[in-house]
Amino acid sequence: MVKLTAEMKEGLKVPGKGGSLVYLCTSSLDGKPNIAAMRYVDSYKDDKILISDMFLLKTKANLKENSQCAIAVCHPLNAGRDWVFKGKAIDIEYGFPPDFDWYGVNAKEILDGWGDWHSKEPPDEVPPDVVYSKAAQRGVVVLHVEEAYSIEKGKVGDKIF
Amino acid sequence: MVVVLTERMKAWVKTGCHLNVANKSGESFVAIARTVRSVSDDEAVFALTKDEYSVIKSALSENPWVAFGVSGVGGIRACYQFKGKGTVTQEGDTYLLKVKISELYCTKPGCYAGLRLDVKPTKECEDWEHGLWKDLPKA
Repeated sequence: MVKLTAEMKEGLKVPGKGGSLVYLCTSSLDGKPNIAAMRYVDSYKDDKILISDMFLLKTKANLKENSQCAIAVCHPLNAGRDWVFKGKAIDIEYGFPPDFDWYGVNAKEILDGWGDWHSKEPPDEVPPDVVYSKAAQRGVVVLHVEEAYSIEKGKVGDKIF
Repeated sequence: MVVVLTERMKAWVKTGCHLNVANKSGESFVAIARTVRSVSDDEAVFALTKDEYSVIKSALSENPWVAFGVSGVGGIRACYQFKGKGTVTQEGDTYLLKVKISELYCTKPGCYAGLRLDVKPTKECEDWEHGLWKDLPKA
């Protein structure tokens, strides 16, 4: 049974503020991979990871045809927090019925809680020549974690759950 | 199109990269390439340990596409995604993954997110990048 540990949940906080580097990895149905760094990240319950849908293009298209997804977390300044979480993901976008339910995730609860991430956790630490000029969140990507392995040096590939 | 990485891109790739490889069913497998053997105008060679390679070996054997992004410290400033087809050779205990880069994207959040850069003429791509950034990663 999947259960994110307290350390994992801590590592899945918003990157940048001394936090982790998080990559969202998807693929088209025919196997063309895509990888993009994410700034807005959180955990939800014991087996879900949330990422904001802000400026997602290929990722969004991939998830609409292939729900298989991996989220890689590493912590350049804190060894031991290097994991890949895998499972199925969905982009809960504005417009979903409020009572939409997916693996125990309610659309209204997710969008109410994380649908305006910019206001919740402003990107103050992001350099001005990197940060966006206007937030444009369209939803929240939810990963239902089914397995995880380590990418820590010396433990790469070790199954966690 | 011909891909020509800028000097800034090459410098960032050398700091290390996250690799995403998918099998034919579209399942992703991710590894970190901590050691980069070389980067040229359109090619990156990652030196993987046996365990790093083992994570992606199966998927790579059935689908050569590799997508990668920078994972070095400060890589938030490296707003690029690189894609290409990879081949592997073995050199002692090291597995050399050579990726011939054929697609290049900007991942800067905002209006440039997803902008395809390899379709621009080389000079235009360099000028575009210089309009945004001139810095290089710290050694």
